[in-house]
Amino acid sequence: MESKGTPDKKQRVGIITRNFFLHIHATRVHVHSMKPTYTFGLGIILGFLFLVMVFTGVILMIYYTPSVETAYQSVKDIVNIVPGGRIIRNMHRWASQGMIIVVFLHLIRVFYTGSYLGNRSLNWVIGVVLLIITLLSNFSGYLLPWDQLAYWAVTIGSNIAASARELTDLLGITNWLDPGGFLKKLLIGGEVVGQPALSRFFALHVIFLPLTMLVLMGIHFWRIRKDGGLSRPAKYASDKGGENKWYAWPVLMWTELALLLLVVVVVLFVAVVADAPLLEKANPVFPENPAKSPWYFLGIQELVSYSAFAGGMLVPLLYLVFLFSIPYRDREDRYVGEWFSGKQGTTIVMRSALFALLLVVIQLVVIIRFGWLRDWFPGISQWFVMLINPATITAGFFVVVAEWIHWKTRSTRMAALVLFTCSMVALVIFTVVGIWFRGPNWEFYWSVNQWPVI
Amino acid sequence: MKRRSFIGKAALALVTVTGIVAAISYLRQFFPRLAGEKQRVALGDPQLFPVDTYTFLDEHKLFVYRDHEGIKAVSAICTHLGCILEKSIDGFECPCHGSCYNDAGKVLSGPAPRDLAWYRVSRAADGKIVVDPGTSVPASEKFLSS
Repeated sequence: MESKGTPDKKQRVGIITRNFFLHIHATRVHVHSMKPTYTFGLGIILGFLFLVMVFTGVILMIYYTPSVETAYQSVKDIVNIVPGGRIIRNMHRWASQGMIIVVFLHLIRVFYTGSYLGNRSLNWVIGVVLLIITLLSNFSGYLLPWDQLAYWAVTIGSNIAASARELTDLLGITNWLDPGGFLKKLLIGGEVVGQPALSRFFALHVIFLPLTMLVLMGIHFWRIRKDGGLSRPAKYASDKGGENKWYAWPVLMWTELALLLLVVVVVLFVAVVADAPLLEKANPVFPENPAKSPWYFLGIQELVSYSAFAGGMLVPLLYLVFLFSIPYRDREDRYVGEWFSGKQGTTIVMRSALFALLLVVIQLVVIIRFGWLRDWFPGISQWFVMLINPATITAGFFVVVAEWIHWKTRSTRMAALVLFTCSMVALVIFTVVGIWFRGPNWEFYWSVNQWPVI
Repeated sequence: MKRRSFIGKAALALVTVTGIVAAISYLRQFFPRLAGEKQRVALGDPQLFPVDTYTFLDEHKLFVYRDHEGIKAVSAICTHLGCILEKSIDGFECPCHGSCYNDAGKVLSGPAPRDLAWYRVSRAADGKIVVDPGTSVPASEKFLSS
């Protein structure tokens, strides 16, 4: 069986266990875990993208200066003067965007295969924290070039952080209790985005967030092994034997190396063909029109355009609470390791997607064609504006439908499928509208060509 | 034995309290003492502002309005998410999420949660006309310059 020159079983085990970097792997992996259509390798792709971020980031850090006066020029220098700087910056930019996409795909894969079930709840929670840190890392990096794009995106972001004031103002307690102002001050160190904000974001971006991410990634990987390897269907659960397990060395190592090369090649290719944007230098008195945040936050920005507090804080926080609570509310372990939880689950997922699509599109049509509360009842109380808008209505409907399915099927997994599918579809639609269909003054346009010339 | 357990507990309490105090002092460092101090803005000679016009002071993010009776000042920062407003024909418009205000700074449409703030205009001790962004006044209040 063993051909000459390949190490025997003992050596294969030894190579993995004796090496500090390799011993995060099990010595043997289940054949189900190696199926490319099960995990799509998304988690490990994220790990590799993180490596690309660190390697390119260190070079950028050497040439970048985090000062309001010189930051913009130093980024220009990186692009135009530093040899290879343009490619490095492009790689950093596109790998970061890649991380956003892949981290969501990874979330989706893990959810729909029920991989938070069993004893994996803690690792799911760590994963959600990693998702948040990925978004924060991206957002904190967004400010650093100090161009118009950066300045106004962060101005808007920091005021979303302060949007709890919308609620405290209505209650009339902002002078005594101001959590919004507290958060904003913590984030940008003042009332407006300036040098304190740039210094803070720089520290977050190059030290605090990457370190936290590295530590959590370590725990995240380690937990996979503690929890018994990658999740697999119940029928393989007790598979301890040799038949269905492969030695990690060398098959898994080759697969991972190939994936690493693929990731680097793709990032490099995109970096060669597409340049990372850099607008003119930040001008604190003249917002871009439209002033858009990074694309992955445009779904939230669309919600924010109805109410800052409801769309920017309340609903996103509820969504995070939902994500964190999934493995603690749904304990139906029989669904582990199976895409969409079988036939019933697949039907529910498809119907939920259709329902969410209709609900969101109908609301958007109403709001775009006929306006909303303040257009119909001028002078209406801010309470109504804050509490009745597409953000809250959508979230409310989703919760009600999920509870209804829970009651009907007596299954928490089915309810979770409804809520997860609906919120993902809504997030995608709001994001698409924010990216492609919103123009100057955040008005609706079918295409950029119709934007008025300002 | 009794004494030993007492000392053990006391030591634990001491470590806990020290830890909490240290954590608070450390975290306190993240909140700057001087932030967003609202300084008064000297306008100079009011006669230099064109009559019946809103003049934008970009450095201070203010619109100053002057007519034959007097002068007043309104914040140019949208109450929604802090973008800088543009003067429209009969009010103010935000380029970021389309909030509209009328000439009195009252919200007409869009997501803005509050009306715009009007600031007190007064004559300082040294005779200069100043705007005080720390003090809000009703939209109708004017500093009578003549």
